Amino acid sequence: MTPPRLTSSRQPLRLLQDRVATGLITAGGVGVLLAILAIGIFLVWETLPLLAIGDTLALAKLSPLAWGTLKAALAALLFAIPVALGAAAYSAMFMSASLRARIKPALEMMEAIPGVVVGFIAGLILAPWVERHLASALLMIVWLPLSAALAGCLWQLAKTRLRRRLPLSWAGVWLVPWLALMVTIVLWLAPWIEQQWLGGDLRQLLDERFGMDYATRNALIVGIAMGFAVIPSIYSLAEDALADVPTTLIEGAQALGASRWQALWKVALAAAGPGVFSAVMIGAGRAVGETMIVLMASGNTALFSASPFEGMRSMAAAIAIELPEASPGGLTYHLLILAALVLFIFTFLVNTLAEVVRQRLRRRYRQMGGTS
Amino acid sequence: MTSGAANTASRHARFHWLNTVWPWLCAASVALSLLMLGALLALLLARGLGHFWPAALEEVTLRSGETLAGEAVREVALPQQAGTEQLYFTGNQDIEGVRWRWVAVEEIAERAQPDDLIRLERSPWGDFIGRLVAIEENDQRLEGDAAWQRLTTLLALPASQRQASDLLLTTVDGQPLRQPLANVISAQMPNAMAWWQKAHAWGEGVWRFLSEGPRAANTHGGVWPAIFGTVLMVILMSVIVTPFGVLAAIYLNEIAHQGRLTRLVRIGVRNLAGVPSIVYGVFGLGVFVYGIGGSLDEWFFSDTLPSPTFGTGGLLWASLTLALLTLPVVIVATEEGLARIPEAQREGAVALGATRLEMLTRIVLPMAAPAMLTGVILAIARAAGEVAPLMLVGVAKLAPQMPIDGEFPYLHLERKFMHLGYHLFDTAFHGEDVQAAIPQVYATALLLVLIVLVLNLTAIFLRHYLRRQRGNEC
Repeated sequence: MTPPRLTSSRQPLRLLQDRVATGLITAGGVGVLLAILAIGIFLVWETLPLLAIGDTLALAKLSPLAWGTLKAALAALLFAIPVALGAAAYSAMFMSASLRARIKPALEMMEAIPGVVVGFIAGLILAPWVERHLASALLMIVWLPLSAALAGCLWQLAKTRLRRRLPLSWAGVWLVPWLALMVTIVLWLAPWIEQQWLGGDLRQLLDERFGMDYATRNALIVGIAMGFAVIPSIYSLAEDALADVPTTLIEGAQALGASRWQALWKVALAAAGPGVFSAVMIGAGRAVGETMIVLMASGNTALFSASPFEGMRSMAAAIAIELPEASPGGLTYHLLILAALVLFIFTFLVNTLAEVVRQRLRRRYRQMGGTS
Repeated sequence: MTSGAANTASRHARFHWLNTVWPWLCAASVALSLLMLGALLALLLARGLGHFWPAALEEVTLRSGETLAGEAVREVALPQQAGTEQLYFTGNQDIEGVRWRWVAVEEIAERAQPDDLIRLERSPWGDFIGRLVAIEENDQRLEGDAAWQRLTTLLALPASQRQASDLLLTTVDGQPLRQPLANVISAQMPNAMAWWQKAHAWGEGVWRFLSEGPRAANTHGGVWPAIFGTVLMVILMSVIVTPFGVLAAIYLNEIAHQGRLTRLVRIGVRNLAGVPSIVYGVFGLGVFVYGIGGSLDEWFFSDTLPSPTFGTGGLLWASLTLALLTLPVVIVATEEGLARIPEAQREGAVALGATRLEMLTRIVLPMAAPAMLTGVILAIARAAGEVAPLMLVGVAKLAPQMPIDGEFPYLHLERKFMHLGYHLFDTAFHGEDVQAAIPQVYATALLLVLIVLVLNLTAIFLRHYLRRQRGNEC
């Protein structure tokens, strides 16, 4: 037994130290939380002068920006939701466990790719290419899903040995060369199809037949680029929700004769629905606030147009461009801060909703007796 | 009745058919995501690194008898099946006024790659492509191979020791040019190089890209000031964000009463990670730059007003803004680490007579250290890739002075700085000759992606290692 090292004279010092440190930590912690709170307060405070002005001009200036933001986010989600949810469903239900341990971090790595890089590729490389090969790009959007279905049908017809060599649980990987092959085929076929059926130039046809203008940097490009950036966040959260569904539920469904897909569609998706919803919400929040991709890939023209072949200007991009030039205290300054406030409130609400839904879901899984 | 049965049967069949197809569509979306990610990385790698490989120079004779020399950049099919055009980078802006030539492929009579074509990199006017006739030093004149030998030995010397001399050059169509050596940065004879010489030139090109400052409105030269600015800003940011983030996490997890309010605060902090970065930029501009910076100027730097010192974007404000932006990342990661520590450890420490401070500093914090490190690395990775908020609070397209120099106080927090991401954006979208800048932009993008990916991978491995270690302990 060791004797007590500390003499009683040091005891008050220790207690004092402890009290001071606790106080400091509390002060620091509360200070940080207050600093975070200050963001909201600052934004509200700076938009108050707008109330005094009460100008309808303000709304007239903001509404095309709001439209642009919605259009960009919608375009991105149209691309991202099917791909991300499909990928989540596949990797939660069908993929082999060893593959999943590799693929999931790889896809989450996509999220880390900086927006400027994606924006640069989209705005300077992809946009001019799509402008020259519009027919190929559109054909690809139609053909790639069909070719996946075709791969499935061929696989059903294939010999057992081949099927064992290329199992469905590894399809996420071995379909990559298949899709690459399909892309090459489309690139090779598209000019011929354009020549035969579309009179040689799809853009001209669009202009003559439907009166649609084609801007180089447009909603289609933004949708693809920002979709690329949003896919990982939706995928990651949706996959978590689906993978956390208690296995007893899925095994039970399969024991009752459901196929793997039916178990996913009728049981797992029903159970994990809120989680999937919150994943989509968080993706929407990211799409609304993403600045650099829209700035670089959209052409930045404040238009009211629903055409996927025309550009737009989003609120975030407008803030990034105009705020450094706006004089503090001026009308533009306050308007742009109002735009920032709108973004802040929107994303905060959406994320809070998603978080609450997720927490409730986790509690529900626990009640279902899942081991997760 | 029978038709009804047939109907259900066919519906059943269709359902079955869809059943087999849906999983394949899902699998294809994984494949598509992987394909896109792979294509992006492959494109960046190929174009970013390929840019430094000495490209072959072509001498092209057109059917009209005209000759030109240049680097073949790409071939593009014209609309309406009107043939294809080839884009050449021909350089020689001081002689021809343009640097790019589009040539219809059917106009070309002959394409050759003669060994004696040289490519000079010059500081005004950009690249020269043509032939070296002679080199003149004082009264000495060297021609042919000797001239090329002399030129390479001269260029191998540091710029200050080179003798003043003139190069006599000629373009492929015979226009002469007298070029002072002082303006020449490097010379290559790419068609005559063996692959190992090219590899050497490639290594040199990469090194110069990483270590030199930009030239010619950021379209040439290196990105060293941007790397330096990014790293310095990120270091400052992590110095600010680490203590505050850890403090807030300790408060939330160890000291605050775990009630409904704490839970709300926790959700709030978590959600701040999802708030768009541009909003933080607006806050930084309004509060740090105009608010605090403006007041600082009034109190301490009133003699230099109206030109602002701290009242404009600068290194300090950018670091503070990004620290605020990454605060939720650090808090969340640290809290996760703290929550993983078994309650028994804390109770054991307290039962042995430790005060709360001793329990925190001796037991809890050492155990949570890897989690904190993970949080800080993730924060750095996020900050290194952010550009939007920086555009508001202090990034510059070309900073005349580095933020660290020999002048007192050595670290100049109020100076504007260059940042890799903004450098990329600016060269790609605001340059005069975007076409010429694109290879440079690819290289910058590759560098940025590599930095961010390496940081993220470090964080992932650290977290993985940590979980495994914890798993053994429990």
